[in-house]
Amino acid sequence: MFLGLLLALAAGSLVSMQNIFNTKVNEHTGSWATTTLVLGMGFVASLTIGLLFEGKQMFTLQNMQPWYWISGLIGVGVVICLVQGTKLLGPTYAISIVLTAQLAFALLWDSLGWLGLEQVPFTINKLLGVLVIVGGIVVFKLGGRRESQKSKEASVLGLE
Amino acid sequence: MKGIIFAFMGGACITLQGVANSRISQDIGIWQAATITQFTGFILALAILLFVRDGKSQGFKQVKPLYLIGGAFGAVIIFSEVTAIHQIGVTFTISALLIAQLCLTILIDMNGWFGVVKQKMKLPQFAGIGMMIAGVLILKF
Repeated sequence: MFLGLLLALAAGSLVSMQNIFNTKVNEHTGSWATTTLVLGMGFVASLTIGLLFEGKQMFTLQNMQPWYWISGLIGVGVVICLVQGTKLLGPTYAISIVLTAQLAFALLWDSLGWLGLEQVPFTINKLLGVLVIVGGIVVFKLGGRRESQKSKEASVLGLE
Repeated sequence: MKGIIFAFMGGACITLQGVANSRISQDIGIWQAATITQFTGFILALAILLFVRDGKSQGFKQVKPLYLIGGAFGAVIIFSEVTAIHQIGVTFTISALLIAQLCLTILIDMNGWFGVVKQKMKLPQFAGIGMMIAGVLILKF
């Protein structure tokens, strides 16, 4: 439980740094050049770490299902949606909606236990907790303009 | 309206990505899942890049090398997120992840690290983070 929490916090910190780095790359290249680089780097890093820890085991894919091969395409869908959403709504509103949707779907997934994940029963507390978090996101994003809002928001635009 | 749908779908896909990676990891292992999903994503992104040619490939040379390797974090991000989802569930994982993400972003902005424009944070940003942490506590009780 504690380890899980720690890893989630580590992942969030890395996402924040990655977003800033990606924005820097994006300024000079463009969103598809950036996305290609980011996923390519992630691929090389995963393969390298995997080979270090698991050696030849890395190439034995047990119970491989055909759809596993194409699930990586979701990442490209993310980029299309974020780029279009930001273009149409501006970064502040777009990112607020993105974060809210992330949480809403997380709750939905836990409650339904789709894709063979362990089902985490839905409770009113869970809904209440998520609503308060979403409220926090709205206050964070829409309450009080910060200086140079634009450049700030660009850094939150993730290209995962 | 179209923008709202795009943004909403974007957020849904980010969560779906974490969930799909968790599922795939159960069968073939975490590093294998991270390698395969990022490889197929890379190939599609490359195909789109060659098709739309929106990028200035010359531009890569103008970027500080450190920033070019940000993508490599993806390996550790996927490993941490998948392990967390298996241990504490999707909702708790995403909540904690978002709080850490926004907290570090605030810290970087306040200090102007990585050459970002230094900014003063105001009360709403701290109140927002406070509400998010309160929400996580409610989740657990």
